[in-house]
Amino acid sequence: MPNTLNMVQAINQALMEEMNSDETIVVYGEDVGVEGGVFRVTADLQKKYGEKRVFDTPLAESAIVGTAVGMAINGLRPIVEMQFSGFSYPAFNQIISHVARMRNRSRGKYNLPMVIRAPYGGGIRALEHHSESTEALYAQIPGLKVVIPSTPYDAKGLLISAIRDNDPVLFWEPKRIYRAFKQEVPEGTYEIPIGKAKIIQSGEDITVVSWGAMVRDVQKAIEMVKVKDISVELIDLRTIAPIDRESFVESVKKTGRILVVHEAPKTLGVGAEIISIVNEKAFLYLEAPPTRLTGFDTTFPLPRGEQHYIPTPERIAKTIEDVVRY
Amino acid sequence: MRFEFQFPDIGEGIHEGIITKWLVNVGDMIKEGDSVAEVETDKVTTEIPSPKTGKIVELRANNGDTIHVGDVFVVIDTEGNAEDVSPEEIKDTLNEKKEIVEEENAGVVGEVIASSEVIAPSDENKENNEDKKDVKKALATPVARKLAKDLGVDINQIVGSGPNGRVMKEDIIKASEKLQVGKQEITLDETIKTASQAQEEKLLIEDEKIERIPLTKIRKTIAEKMTQSRFTIPHTTAMDELDVTELYELRKRYKDSLREEEINLTFMPFIIKATIAVLKQMPEFNSTLDEENDELILKKFYHIGIATDTDRGLMVPVIKDADRLSIVELAKKVDEISNKAKNNQIELKDLKGSSFTITNYGSIGGYYGIPIINYPESAILGVGRIVQKPIIKNDEIVKAWILPLSLSYDHRIIDGASGARFLNMMKELLENPEMLLLKA
Amino acid sequence: MLPVSVPIASQLQHATGIGMANNIKGEKNVVMTYVGDGGTSHGDFHEALNFAAVFNAPVIFIIQNNQYAISTPRKVQTKSKNLAVKAIAYGLPGILVDGNDLFAMYNASKAAVERARNGEGPTLIEAFTYRLGAHTTSDDPTKYREDKEVEEWKKKDPILRLELFLKNKGLIDDKWVENTKAELEKDVTATFEEIEGKSDTEIDDIFKFTYEKMTPQLEEQLSEYKAFLEGGNK
Repeated sequence: MPNTLNMVQAINQALMEEMNSDETIVVYGEDVGVEGGVFRVTADLQKKYGEKRVFDTPLAESAIVGTAVGMAINGLRPIVEMQFSGFSYPAFNQIISHVARMRNRSRGKYNLPMVIRAPYGGGIRALEHHSESTEALYAQIPGLKVVIPSTPYDAKGLLISAIRDNDPVLFWEPKRIYRAFKQEVPEGTYEIPIGKAKIIQSGEDITVVSWGAMVRDVQKAIEMVKVKDISVELIDLRTIAPIDRESFVESVKKTGRILVVHEAPKTLGVGAEIISIVNEKAFLYLEAPPTRLTGFDTTFPLPRGEQHYIPTPERIAKTIEDVVRY
Repeated sequence: MRFEFQFPDIGEGIHEGIITKWLVNVGDMIKEGDSVAEVETDKVTTEIPSPKTGKIVELRANNGDTIHVGDVFVVIDTEGNAEDVSPEEIKDTLNEKKEIVEEENAGVVGEVIASSEVIAPSDENKENNEDKKDVKKALATPVARKLAKDLGVDINQIVGSGPNGRVMKEDIIKASEKLQVGKQEITLDETIKTASQAQEEKLLIEDEKIERIPLTKIRKTIAEKMTQSRFTIPHTTAMDELDVTELYELRKRYKDSLREEEINLTFMPFIIKATIAVLKQMPEFNSTLDEENDELILKKFYHIGIATDTDRGLMVPVIKDADRLSIVELAKKVDEISNKAKNNQIELKDLKGSSFTITNYGSIGGYYGIPIINYPESAILGVGRIVQKPIIKNDEIVKAWILPLSLSYDHRIIDGASGARFLNMMKELLENPEMLLLKA
Repeated sequence: MLPVSVPIASQLQHATGIGMANNIKGEKNVVMTYVGDGGTSHGDFHEALNFAAVFNAPVIFIIQNNQYAISTPRKVQTKSKNLAVKAIAYGLPGILVDGNDLFAMYNASKAAVERARNGEGPTLIEAFTYRLGAHTTSDDPTKYREDKEVEEWKKKDPILRLELFLKNKGLIDDKWVENTKAELEKDVTATFEEIEGKSDTEIDDIFKFTYEKMTPQLEEQLSEYKAFLEGGNK
């Protein structure tokens, strides 16, 4: 019987159910055990599975990730949390130097079936480090996978896939929509494949690619442009690395136009990669320049300035129109 | 004026609070800054100050109730009038906005909006039943697309000649030209008015001073053909004067006797004979340029068109395989088709298929000419009136019969030197008629 | 045995993690990990020891204090009296040992391993030794240390000491030393030549260990590159 959950609850359920069927899964990080996480994502896990498998650590992100490397080598499946994605930077060295490379360095002898979870993205009127989007940084590192869900259903299915993946996955949770809406989520486990985007709706005039919390804003924009007779094909990327190229390439072959919408800063963001791929694979089908609508190349602004930074549905709608009318 | 006081965001990520104690009653007067209630939150118990001065009109929560940021929990009348409004009931807004309290939304920092909105269930794994419409779209680079746009051509209608059927710039230009020729909107140079400019001027003409004559079909056809020829082929004309005194004498000697055989011996048969001889040496004058395939088609047959003036207009009946006819036979043929044309007895098949055309405006009296090539041929020979003129021969002025020739040709495939050579060869044959016997 | 870790001290956290996992799994294995004197300044050293103590991980941390981090003498590395003393801050025992004494090292390590096996947690061992040679072939130690110092330490060379000890006890003789050296040299040379003799890298090897299964991007890049190599320059 399906339950109606928001994203926090969906992720929690994924963890609950997977820990039940796989004893090698351990969950740890700052404040995840007793308190259940500052966003309550890991609530009640310790109660159910005990301190050995769900525990709190000293405040040290590098060690949280570094020890997870050791644990994974030693046969466990650690799911560690970075309290905010902006706090993953102290662990950057461990992530880039070891998490991403252990399989390659050991020629396949050791692999790291671990997950690093973190709330990411802006829109909750919080400071920098609590609002930034740096998925591009990690997406560029060979050996890592980066996943960003946009709905509760997807969050659960993708997290389960991430947990079961024998390679490390960064599971970035868009905190702005942690509780913004609910959705039917089946009880019991199910997997949504990593590396597969989703065509949320079909359209003829333009392909729009987005992920995370931005998907809802794009959907609002799509309603706005419907009255102007513009039909949009919306693709939720879901996996940032490895990117599902086929999804939007085939779409662009049909529509001839593409717009990427993301929160992260413009320069060298994931939008740039998508556009390059479109260039490589669908050049002759283009009827307008591939475009991206993104955050500015600035540090994430303080709360009052937030609404300028994150593309609004109005801005998205206007950009869609501009591209279609090129 | 009613001021609805919403529970403010007091920071620290506080989303809601519990009213532990009201510090005012309905009807109380308060000043800005006075505390209205004590509220307990996750982090702290605090007093909430009033932002307005006035009278408390409504309290929308009870002690112990949970209120959320943004909820209206107090209504203040800022005008200060003692209103008779006593709240009938303290509305319990909490029931409406009852958030999922079990979440206890703590965010440490920031404000995570909680809502009980439910979105549509996922359609993961649902077969995409949409027919993959096989839209036939042209493959083309952005540069090509822009070119098509600029030239007003629908790129999806063009068959591409590039790899994998890609539409190349050349394809677009060609399609555009075909369009142009059909529409005939080409302007040759700025001094020629555009069709629209001419239209405008047309309208300015006073009506009673003009007469409008609808064009006949033939006239229209001629107009189209002339335009097509002149606008497609870069024409150039070489001219020369030939001293045909000896030919003149030759004709004089035989024309009377041939007349008895009902043969009208004009100069044309000789000219035709000479022309064919030269064409055999210079086949490019007897050709057609295949623009689509970038090839020059040399014709090994000699169908000579003879431009003829009729009362219905210009016609070009054709003498097929003229190279097989003797001068006398040519004379007969020329006569025959000329008469047929003038009497409107000419058949369509006789008006087609020429590989080279000769136009004799001299018969009417012209001397010089810049004839227009009979498209899609590559050259045309204009023959003017033969007149007697004084010339210098052996350092002395003598009388001579002069035949003016004007040779227009396609400068894309024939250079100036060739044009001159053609006429030189004509000269050799026609100025020494014995050469016709030997070489033609 | 884990592969080489380039970022200094980062491996200590892996060791702690492996140890923590042993506890979670209820296994009695212990982990031994090494770091240089320079590495003790790194944040990862601090975090790893802290975690190891908090979680009672069965890890033996061995500092090979050879007095120099390339050109930086130990005294510049930290103001602490020695490196073993840092253990106190984390709540785990630290021992300062003569690193050039085989038996001392053996005893200290054995005790630490037993502690760990008994569930008593991690130990920090500082092996006090000396880097006789240069840091690398491009390093010139004469720039930052006195030859006199080096000569003094040569006398304390652990292999030399062991050799003398065993000879005194009559357990080995010069011949044995000579033969063993020759044998070992042969071994090393043979291994060296074997590795050197191996052919060029297999192109696939560059790609296939990035993930369990190659992504479409990787497969495309690999096949494109192979096509380039096979096609010459078309």
